[in-house]
Amino acid sequence: MIAALKRSVLIWPAMLLIVALYLVPSFDVIRSSLFDPDLTTRHIDRLIDRPVFMTVFWRTVQTSLIVAFAGALIAWPVAYFINAQPRRSQFLLIFLIFIPLWMSVLIRSYAWLVVLGRDGVVNSAMLGMGLTTEPVQMLFTPAAVQLAMLQILLPIQIVTTYGAMTEIDLDLMRAARILGARQGQALRRVFIPLSFDGAMTGMIIAFMLSMGFFITPALLGGPRDRMLGNLIEVQVAQLNWGFASALGLLLLFGTLGCVIVLRFCGRMALRVLK
Amino acid sequence: MQRLLRTTAVGVTASMLMSAAVSADTLVLSTSGGVVAEATMKYFVPAFEKETGWKVQQVSAEGTRMAEIEAMVRAGNPVWDVSEISASNYPIGVQRGLLEEVNYELVDPEGLLPEIARAKYGVVTASYSTVLMQNTAKSPEGKLMTTWADFWDTETFPGPRSLREGPEYNLEFALLADGVAIDDLYTVLATPEGIDRAFDKLGEIRESIPVWWTSGAQSVQLLTDGEVIYATNYNGRASAMVKAGIPISIMWNGGALHTTYLGIVKGTKNLEAAHAYLRVRATNTESQREYLNFLPYPGSAPGLLESLPQEVAEQLPTYPANLAGQYVANEEFWAANIEALRERWDEWLLE
Repeated sequence: MIAALKRSVLIWPAMLLIVALYLVPSFDVIRSSLFDPDLTTRHIDRLIDRPVFMTVFWRTVQTSLIVAFAGALIAWPVAYFINAQPRRSQFLLIFLIFIPLWMSVLIRSYAWLVVLGRDGVVNSAMLGMGLTTEPVQMLFTPAAVQLAMLQILLPIQIVTTYGAMTEIDLDLMRAARILGARQGQALRRVFIPLSFDGAMTGMIIAFMLSMGFFITPALLGGPRDRMLGNLIEVQVAQLNWGFASALGLLLLFGTLGCVIVLRFCGRMALRVLK
Repeated sequence: MQRLLRTTAVGVTASMLMSAAVSADTLVLSTSGGVVAEATMKYFVPAFEKETGWKVQQVSAEGTRMAEIEAMVRAGNPVWDVSEISASNYPIGVQRGLLEEVNYELVDPEGLLPEIARAKYGVVTASYSTVLMQNTAKSPEGKLMTTWADFWDTETFPGPRSLREGPEYNLEFALLADGVAIDDLYTVLATPEGIDRAFDKLGEIRESIPVWWTSGAQSVQLLTDGEVIYATNYNGRASAMVKAGIPISIMWNGGALHTTYLGIVKGTKNLEAAHAYLRVRATNTESQREYLNFLPYPGSAPGLLESLPQEVAEQLPTYPANLAGQYVANEEFWAANIEALRERWDEWLLE
């Protein structure tokens, strides 16, 4: 008991940081959505009464799901490839994956304007090759937002998935082969289930980060691609702190709820795989 | 709410402290950043520093400016002393008690400013307009729009366009395109039918608007990158584009004329220096004239408009030929109605 308490000292500084910088402000957000200045449900009522906010919430969920799922499908093979390399190349490859993370999200979103614009790289190439006679509208579409978000979040997903793969004892694969499993079978029955949790964690992290995206849909999206973060910004700019907090609450609990559902679906999928 | 504001203010304070330690005799000034910050630093700050011996630290704030000021004021520790206040934010600042009452004994002891510039909670420092800008190189056969009806005419003027993301002034533009006279704009908008009419009219053009801009800089970028051919913006942004080699023509007709204020953040510890800055900014004719060479946002300093070179004068929103077709934006209307209209706007955009 005492020993456990002594060991837990190590985690206190981190806990303190989370309580002071995250939990306390979060409770303030909850409070200010309910008290303005007296107890009121008018912000929550407005959230429920007007369909626009729930519509944007569901679109945010949808975009985040697409980004996280597509990311998982791309990240897994990349992580598998890296994990199969000799130790030293693995280090180099992971280092290369990390480089885009040093650039701000704003800059990376902005770069997509140059690629997807009417006078951009892709359109110029297509016009040059005669694939089209008029520039194709690629910016300000849902696909533009999803593509950019995918590119921004992919390194995180690859690294998380790869991290989990390095934990897998490759002798297990060998053992499966010795016991008569074909290469594909060993992969499907042994490696994929063992790496599944890491991929799932990467997907959930990407999903949670997507839910709060703000700059990318503002720069690359059309009027129908705005996400909850954009609506919150509008409310804060109008000094509607109470309603902005209510939207924040929707984002927080909506994300939590989705993560629980995702975890559950993940467990079901894993059972099917095994 | 109080606590949330305080937390925000602590964050703002911390970031300010990190960027630069503010010494005792430093006035913190919040402006719109970009070219405005550059011009302010060049033309007004030196005059103020020379007269008072104070230093100025400038911070940039755009969309969330009033939110930041409210957080500071509620926390009882304003980090900014003086802030630019846009015309649409001025009524909000007054309603919420975020601004000090201006003492004109200190700002304009000789009574040089016109009455219209001497607002109770801020001195008027400039006029500017929201106008339509057109890229003449991309406009078909070099044709130019001259009315808002042209903006709606996608036969004669095909191609992508952009307007600001928000109902402000766009509803007026729609009504002007629909044939409402300038003098009747706000009588029409005061009725539910008028609002419906404006939204319906906007509905006619929305398919030609792939993107709605959220900052002046974004509108510049859309025109510069060729994403759109026609976009509204604040008139001062045109010169920057012309300098960058983008042929931009301003449609003054049907523009929205605004005024911008300089206010003192409630509870500042540097009240006297803040007034001194307001005085320099609002009444120093020489600085204002030099500023006009850089940015076409005229103030009310005495004698400013006399003996201006013609090429500078004709860029101003208050130049008679430019002024003729503009309407004066009714910021009280917007302050009173923004919450409901914004909600309708958000729903309309998603339709």
